[in-house]
Amino acid sequence: MTFFFYLAAAIAIAATLLVITGRNPVHALLNLVVSLLAVAGMFFMLGAPFAGALEIIVYAGAIMVLFVFVVMMLNLGTATTDQERRWLTPKTWFAPAVLAGLLLAGLLDVLLGGPLHAAGLAEIDARQVGVHLFGPYLLAVELGSMLLLAALVAAYHLGRHD
Amino acid sequence: MMLTDIQFAAMSPLLLVSATIVVVMLAIACKRHHQGNATLSVIGLNLALIACGAMIYVAQPAMTVTPLLVVDGYALFYMALILVATLATATLSHAYLEGFKGEKEEMYLLLCLSALGGLTLACAQHFASLFIGLELLSIPLYAMIAYPVKSRRPLEGGLKYLVLSAVASAFLLFGIALIYSQVGSLSFADVGGYFAAGGSRIGMLGGALLLIGLGFKLSLVPFHLWTPDVYEGAPAPVASYLATASKTAVFAVLMRYFVEAGGYYQASLVQVLSWLAFASIVVGNLLAVRQNNVKRMLAYSSIAHFGYCMVALIAGGPLAVEAVGAYLLTYVVTSLGAFGVVTLSSSPMGERDADVIYDYRGLFWRRPYLASILTAMLLSLAGIPLTAGFIGKFYVITTGVDAHLWWLLGAVVVGSAIGLYYYLRLMISLFLLDPSKHRFSAPLDWAQRTGGIMTLLAMLLMLALGIFPQPFIHLLQVSTLIPAG
Repeated sequence: MTFFFYLAAAIAIAATLLVITGRNPVHALLNLVVSLLAVAGMFFMLGAPFAGALEIIVYAGAIMVLFVFVVMMLNLGTATTDQERRWLTPKTWFAPAVLAGLLLAGLLDVLLGGPLHAAGLAEIDARQVGVHLFGPYLLAVELGSMLLLAALVAAYHLGRHD
Repeated sequence: MMLTDIQFAAMSPLLLVSATIVVVMLAIACKRHHQGNATLSVIGLNLALIACGAMIYVAQPAMTVTPLLVVDGYALFYMALILVATLATATLSHAYLEGFKGEKEEMYLLLCLSALGGLTLACAQHFASLFIGLELLSIPLYAMIAYPVKSRRPLEGGLKYLVLSAVASAFLLFGIALIYSQVGSLSFADVGGYFAAGGSRIGMLGGALLLIGLGFKLSLVPFHLWTPDVYEGAPAPVASYLATASKTAVFAVLMRYFVEAGGYYQASLVQVLSWLAFASIVVGNLLAVRQNNVKRMLAYSSIAHFGYCMVALIAGGPLAVEAVGAYLLTYVVTSLGAFGVVTLSSSPMGERDADVIYDYRGLFWRRPYLASILTAMLLSLAGIPLTAGFIGKFYVITTGVDAHLWWLLGAVVVGSAIGLYYYLRLMISLFLLDPSKHRFSAPLDWAQRTGGIMTLLAMLLMLALGIFPQPFIHLLQVSTLIPAG
């Protein structure tokens, strides 16, 4: 289990390096998804399955899909299909696929009964997260909503075309 | 989590500003009206300021509101200072944005949101509220700096601030994570206890990364490269907000971190910080000399001023909190006046701001009162006796002498001497006779407008601080911090 934690950490770093060295935004995003999956794996190992699931659903799922859509939409043109074919060469999907495969292997190893680590024994579930968010961190949630409003107003003002 | 009535009352400035944000947003959604929306925001901010003032007046005891925030005399003083700076920015923006072609009203919404972040920082006693407050302070600023979206320079400034600020936030978060890995708690009191007990190398590394993040926001010297470009690109009122409210809020939380979260126990970091202060004073002043652009000059001078302020923080001891408060109070009042004159000369907004020294040539012969206000403010920035700036410098030097920081004090003295040179250079050009035609000249009725009244008030407050500082010193003494442990 300790091994998988370090494996996931190494994969996260490798994938993130590929993100920042990638020249093509879509390829970079693909690597970013792998990096987020690896971080989610680390959350699972630390006994926080709720945080891990959120990481996958919200970051690797919703936000990344949005990113990919926007990037793809910006690239729309006559040569899109052609471009798509050129993008799907093994060179582009090989690195993310290998990293994701390693993650899967590590995860299977743990699921099939690897040794346990003390950090993963105490489980933090959705209920405990909720109790904390609406207990001592109540004001952080409220201020978080203001933060989102600020980002929304800023994006509206800067992104307006008239 | 149930909050009691007393806790709600203690939080009233934060709640009032939040309510203002919602009301202004709804008002904009119903009908866009520049004057009306600006008035609404100013009323809300004034109510929050009155609430702060009332609580300072009745000497409200320290009140912890959830583990995140504490409302004590210190927080109330800085909240009031941030609100004053925000109000001044709002009135200046009103004068300035009259000439703006696009949508003017979002500025007030963004300003109130940013002020809410500042208020959170003033009350923060937990790393979670520190981080959220810092982000809430910065995110509206990206849009405020780039407010005239169609112009190149503001957009460039906004983008620079966005990217570098994100990097600084990453450093800050990594530092907080390292400290958390050692302490197991995010509250300042626990972290203070940990560092008082000796700390560890990883905790120290976390503290260093935290200081990098905050040093960026304060534009201390190795992290200052963004400052002149952003100040130059930003609309003049936003530059005044960046120089005053934003920096004051960050310094308030830095001071609280040092006193309550054991920053003073990390002796080697205090040592590094004193090098940063030294470099800020020397580099800030030397580069300011070479500027022909008033906004860039004020940017470099703000780097130097935060170097002076840092000297008071490094000195520590019983007087440090009071000295930092005095310095920030005098600096905020003075900078608001100086940026106020720059804004009024540039209003209503045109192709560019009146920011080259040449634009101010002979201002005295065209707008004598406005030029007099700028002269007084520049004298105060230089720290001439009978102005507010002198009181601030006096405090800094007193704490420095108490702590035997001789080489830093030497830098303060040399820096002030260099400062006098470039402030006087601008001042002289105000009085030079210049026969040629001028593009920039404040409108004749500037004094009747709210922006004009604001700069006049800032000058009167500045002189009051300089001539009769006793009431303000009393205010600073009730708003001090008690060190933990």
